[in-house]
Amino acid sequence: MPGQAAPAFTLIDSEGAPRSLADFRGKIVVLEWTNEGCPYVQKHYSGAMQALQREAAEDGIVWLSVISSAPGTQGHVEGESARSWKTRTKANATHLLLDPTGQVGRAYGAKTTPDMRIIDREGRLVFVGGIDDKPTNDVADLQGATNFVRAALDDVMSDRPVRTAFATPYGCSVKYADEA
Amino acid sequence: MRRLFRLLILLTLILAPAGMAAAQTGPQRTDEIEAELVSMSRWATPGGTTVVAVRQKIEPGWHTYWRNPGDSGGPTTLQWTLPTGVKAGDIVWPLPERQRLQGLVNYGYEGAVYLPVPVEIPASARPGSTLPLRVKALFLVCSDEMCIPRELTLGLDLPIREGAAPQDAAHGAAIARILEQARRPAGITARATLENGVLTLSATGGPLAGGDPGPTYFFPFESGTIDHAGAQSGSWGPNGLTLVLTAGGKMAAGGLTGPVAGVLATSKGAFEITAQPGAPLPGATGSGALAPLDDAAPTPGASAPATGWIVFAQALVFALLGGLILNLMPCVFPILAMKAAALAASAHDARHARADGLAFLAGVLTTFIILAGALLGLRAAGEAVGWGFQLQSAPVTAGLALLMLAVALNLSGVFHIGGGLQGVGSGPLSRLPGGAGSFFTGALAVIVAAPCTAPFMAFALGAALLMPWPMALAVFLMLGLGLALPYVAISLTPRLLSKLPRPGAWMDRLKSLLAFPMYGAALWLAWVFSNQTGAEGLGLLFAAGLAGATGLWLVGAGQGERALGRRGVIHTIAGAALLLAMLGAATLAARAPVEAPSADAGTGELSSAPWSAQAVQTALSEGRPVLVNFTADWCVTCKINERTSLTTPGVKRAMEQSRAVYLIGDWTRRDDAITAELQRHGRSGVPLYLLYRPGQAGPEILPQLLTEGVVVEALKP
Repeated sequence: MPGQAAPAFTLIDSEGAPRSLADFRGKIVVLEWTNEGCPYVQKHYSGAMQALQREAAEDGIVWLSVISSAPGTQGHVEGESARSWKTRTKANATHLLLDPTGQVGRAYGAKTTPDMRIIDREGRLVFVGGIDDKPTNDVADLQGATNFVRAALDDVMSDRPVRTAFATPYGCSVKYADEA
Repeated sequence: MRRLFRLLILLTLILAPAGMAAAQTGPQRTDEIEAELVSMSRWATPGGTTVVAVRQKIEPGWHTYWRNPGDSGGPTTLQWTLPTGVKAGDIVWPLPERQRLQGLVNYGYEGAVYLPVPVEIPASARPGSTLPLRVKALFLVCSDEMCIPRELTLGLDLPIREGAAPQDAAHGAAIARILEQARRPAGITARATLENGVLTLSATGGPLAGGDPGPTYFFPFESGTIDHAGAQSGSWGPNGLTLVLTAGGKMAAGGLTGPVAGVLATSKGAFEITAQPGAPLPGATGSGALAPLDDAAPTPGASAPATGWIVFAQALVFALLGGLILNLMPCVFPILAMKAAALAASAHDARHARADGLAFLAGVLTTFIILAGALLGLRAAGEAVGWGFQLQSAPVTAGLALLMLAVALNLSGVFHIGGGLQGVGSGPLSRLPGGAGSFFTGALAVIVAAPCTAPFMAFALGAALLMPWPMALAVFLMLGLGLALPYVAISLTPRLLSKLPRPGAWMDRLKSLLAFPMYGAALWLAWVFSNQTGAEGLGLLFAAGLAGATGLWLVGAGQGERALGRRGVIHTIAGAALLLAMLGAATLAARAPVEAPSADAGTGELSSAPWSAQAVQTALSEGRPVLVNFTADWCVTCKINERTSLTTPGVKRAMEQSRAVYLIGDWTRRDDAITAELQRHGRSGVPLYLLYRPGQAGPEILPQLLTEGVVVEALKP
């Protein structure tokens, strides 16, 4: 929930290096749950998501894309396929993190792809939920949609309280592993 | 040459749309889903509203979504391309299934499902033509593994014809079932509170009152209202139920800022509710815990809501009570007069009295079965009829008026039935209602009295119409049993009968006196008839009545002649000829042209407007309360309520003070919109009184027996 402390985690990235949330203390962090095969993700990766990631990087914001798809499910990648993911999608995320057990996704309550989180410099969740207000998989709907992540990042950068701190997430279900 | 060219262009123009249309109608399919645009009825009428549906056949392992898809997914969307003047409404969403998937819960559909959409047809549509309806349907079809957006363009060429359309054989019943189950506001009041991430909903009134609602589940219209995967628990009380829900992300983050709307599915049916923020309602808890709903269980309310055995038993009891109370309703008085006369005659012959009582019972039950059978049959054929439909037909009213006149003349001693020679000689009362007579009286009682609904009957009838037909017939039989019970009980109790005074001259006088309620009934039916047809029709009916009365008098005179040993042939022939003349006049009367109903008929000084759903919305949007009176001229209870409780100065004052709008839905003649509205409130007949208050989701249903106090109290802000 917005306002709460962001749960700590360590995940292996596409290069095989461990990344902890603690590594980015003092920086604004965006978490993005993704799944390349999901039509909703494909809508945003038609260019809009990459552009948002680039703008964020220019502002010194850390962007972590998280894949919580379990092995054998849609979107699951590891090793080489994880490395080629970034090339294929032309993504500008800082790191691509792999969460095959779904532990981190569940800790953050991620339900759909895309599902977004923004963590402020103090390590608090300031935005939770859907990327915009057009819950469709139609690329044409990117036009005229209000992008809540962009707005929230503007607010955090200018030390304003985030106006829309929660938006209902939409999209495909995160392909979690069966709960043990 | 040029002419030929022009002809070719013309031909292309005519044929092109037809060719395009043919290419798009019928089922369209992808690997995961087959879809088709189908119609609920075989044709649509100009100026009417018809229902079409997007039929989906989803391959095993795949699903599509409800309006709120739950934790993921997206609803099916429709983009219509329609001929000028045709308007498509919103999807009437069938109740979804809950689909659990790795800790997430979605609301959606598997297998075969229909998405019904009401479509308004312009009055200018030409009977005999077809309207091409086209829709681009976007389905998000998902499996546990992946989601695929599928777009299919579906088409239906809807025939336009005059007259009520029968149901489409392939899809009509399935679509009608969805419409019956979906969206029933049903007078439920609901409140919502939010505390520490817990959303508490309380809902009372309407069908939720009185009894365990069984497993209950709330489907919110908006995602983020509740945690879809969270357990829903709660309890029920005398007036309704309380559900305790885990607030969803949006609710937890943004707080409770407005009403919470959704569908409350219970074993009593599914109801659309809008819970206003506010303190929990009284009586919505305390009687027991709501049964938990496990994942394997089908969504409550998804099966036909009224087929449960508990509802069936309840309907039977209410039907019996309703039938009993019907004896106290003004509609039955004339018939009771007939029965009283018969009872007085047979009181001191226990065997005779018993046979008489049983014959009456048989008459009542047979007629109930015939009427109910006709009603269920007509509805199965797609006709929008309700209880009392028999009196919506002018010829039936005319025939009944003449029949009542004949019965009254008989009670006045003008002629005798079945008496023959020996009858006239001995006491004139002894044979009037023999076995056949009693049976006939029972039949008459049902035809005239049953269209009036009594308290308790409304629920039973409403429930019966949603049940499979054997159950429905059982409910109707119980109604008949209730109606006949008092009389049957008396005739089967020799001790009670022996308390009645011995036959004598008093019986003659009683009989003559009891003729007058029958004359009254005849006059009342004539008045109903005049409202159904007009002054000209009424004139012809009066002529028929006079001819018939004279004829029957001649028949009586002939009977007298024969009793004295003479032939009396001429009188009998003259009587028969006049009876024929009466029949002819009655036929003419029934065919008399229908005049437009005069505005504001019979409502006293209270200014009123005709009912329409639109009128209700308009008044509510102006912030004014709305009192709706669904009535019919042949409904005596309605008329008495209007005289005693709806047109009094007190009510008028209360209406003015609250700036209420008074709307009248007149069901004297058949009106499918009113039939549908009655049904929406679980009723199948009049009277029905609805009070809408601005800002409240559903209307309050006022009792069927009104008093001035009840109305004034209800109108208080």
